[in-house]
Amino acid sequence: MKRLALPIFLVVALFVTTGFAQNLTLGFTVSNTGALNVDSVEQLHGFELWRDQVNAAGGIKAGGKSYKIQFVSYDDESNTKRVQQLYSRLILQDKADFLFSPYSSSLTATAAIVTEQYEKIMLTTGAAEGKTYTLGNHYLFQMFTPGAEYLKGVLDMLKTKDPKAAVAFVYEDASFSVAVVNPAKEYAQKLGFNVAFSEAYAPNTTDFSAIIDKVIASKSTVLLGGGHYADGSTLARQVYSHKVPLKMITLLVAPDSPQWGELGDAAVGVIVPSQWEPQTAFKAQYGPSGAEFAKAYTAKYNTPPSYESAGGYASGLVLQHAIEQAGSTDTAKVAAALNATDITTFYGRSKFATEANQHGLQVGHAMVLAQWQKDKSGKLVKQVVWPLAAKSANLVYPIH
Amino acid sequence: MILRRPVFWLILIFAALMAFIPFHANDVSMREDLILVALAVILASNLNLMIGYTGYVNFGHIVFYGLGGYVGLYLATVRNWNLVLAALAAGLVVSLFALALGMGILRLRGAYFALATIGVLLAVQSFVANFDPWGRSTGMYVDFSAYQRLGGARHALWMTYFLVIGVMALSMILSLGIKISKFGLGLFAIREDEDAAVVLGVNTTVFKAIIYSVSAFLPAVAGALMFYKNGMIDPSIAFEFMLSLEGIVMLMLGGKGTVVGAALGGGLYEKLRSYLLTSPKLSNFQLVIAGALLLLVVLFAPGGLIGWLYRLVPRARKVIE
Repeated sequence: MKRLALPIFLVVALFVTTGFAQNLTLGFTVSNTGALNVDSVEQLHGFELWRDQVNAAGGIKAGGKSYKIQFVSYDDESNTKRVQQLYSRLILQDKADFLFSPYSSSLTATAAIVTEQYEKIMLTTGAAEGKTYTLGNHYLFQMFTPGAEYLKGVLDMLKTKDPKAAVAFVYEDASFSVAVVNPAKEYAQKLGFNVAFSEAYAPNTTDFSAIIDKVIASKSTVLLGGGHYADGSTLARQVYSHKVPLKMITLLVAPDSPQWGELGDAAVGVIVPSQWEPQTAFKAQYGPSGAEFAKAYTAKYNTPPSYESAGGYASGLVLQHAIEQAGSTDTAKVAAALNATDITTFYGRSKFATEANQHGLQVGHAMVLAQWQKDKSGKLVKQVVWPLAAKSANLVYPIH
Repeated sequence: MILRRPVFWLILIFAALMAFIPFHANDVSMREDLILVALAVILASNLNLMIGYTGYVNFGHIVFYGLGGYVGLYLATVRNWNLVLAALAAGLVVSLFALALGMGILRLRGAYFALATIGVLLAVQSFVANFDPWGRSTGMYVDFSAYQRLGGARHALWMTYFLVIGVMALSMILSLGIKISKFGLGLFAIREDEDAAVVLGVNTTVFKAIIYSVSAFLPAVAGALMFYKNGMIDPSIAFEFMLSLEGIVMLMLGGKGTVVGAALGGGLYEKLRSYLLTSPKLSNFQLVIAGALLLLVVLFAPGGLIGWLYRLVPRARKVIE
């Protein structure tokens, strides 16, 4: 009997610990390889920081229980082909309780077919395209401001500075940038701007000289567009080396990356519409302040957080808040709590549309505009210039 | 007679098992794994008609899959056609397109033809990215309600799975049928020596255009089904050059010019990638391992797995075609 005591004790101990330790499994895919790698991994870092902080504080507390967070994730290779296979696996084999979306709109749209089918909640982050939410979903909740809103702030700001500006749109011919630029063009015309030039370039374009010549010929004074990092940074560099007389340059996504500063003088003055910037001073009702988040993030990853990282962390926070409100991890109850969510975190306000024809669309969150400026010591830094209530510096206009 | 070929029956049994096992076990994970295997088999088998049978390397084969996806999705969602009809129509439209195109570019030979196929891929992609009815570069999305017409998403996804398995079986049977036909002999003649084939009375331009068109049909049908299942399509996803290259790798792995080799290569390659991708220990090295394995195959078994089997058991040639 004595010999059996230890094994019995171990088995019982195992049962007791597994029986009481409540784990909550969150599933998602990450683009560890492929074109979306940089942005997707920044988003992942946001998820991870949230998980580590929640677990260190004892987990999510709901209905008298504590839940520790564990992640299951796979590499989606930045490719829609495998996304449904991987999300089915996350739901059925890995028994994920809740899901985060992959990075990018197209991957998210593909994953949504599976998550809706299994009635699983998916917080979508890094996916700004709004179309997915109009297709009749019940369990999607978008964290990013929809693409159609991206450039509206820039145009509003420009209206106050230079209502007679001639605007050129030069943008990547890809799903996201087209979804952003088309509504922006309409909005520019509505505000009475002269849209002097508009052209989409192929993804992976490396030589913009022909387009730049056309921009010069059109006598445009403001350039809006871009797409992702590689093309955006090349475009900015070539616009600078061609000495195009522009008063303002606004590019999507690329200038948000800390790497942007490495472009040197070509980076100066470029504006990026951003989901979040460390300087934005939102009073957080829930979770850490912006400064606390940025500090913890920088300490862990040795780089300041981008808006993808902030979006990742905030997705965790919003889910945590909903689970606490629901007092349960039951999907229907948490979905109801998410539908009722209207909170301000360090990331800004989050509120989801509840109408059937656009369920889950983000309607609370607002974009900010950040501009690369030289500080007193001549170092390049990003400053928030719009909305005025959140600004950390004045807009530099014209840039040259 | 095709019915007397043991491989014909093997194909049917294989397809029936692939359809039955996940359905019987109600295992959706397995279904999602197997549908990608089936897709790989479809692409590799049809590519084999060009590369393996005719000796023409087609780098832009994926263009048929993508175009089929677009035509199918457009008919099924915008025009509200029945999914099966939309997929068949997609196959037909893309085949006709390939036939017209083939009459032109198949006058080229060797490396020039291979280059032209890349050109076709890029040209079609640019066209679609600027074509308004297909949503330009933002593509098209399937409304969730579209699945309701097929009895809900759950039911619809099972249905597309069975259809894709059907297309897979047809692809292999088509390969076999062509291989044992007189038309197939004509293709082999072109592969071995095109000038000699002309002298023997093979109308090479027509033969090549027909096989180019035939090799477009089933991938286009599969494209319509797969993109319907995925719920969205855009030009960067539909015309992915990488997938075209992977198709060629699959053929090399299995053994080009054989019915079973193409399917085996497609299936194994997909299984391997999928295993490496989800394995917790190996996922960080998946591309390295896949690359190294392929290098080994090319170095030590240049005829692919089937070529290696033929060398080992020469009699296998009679059964495994």
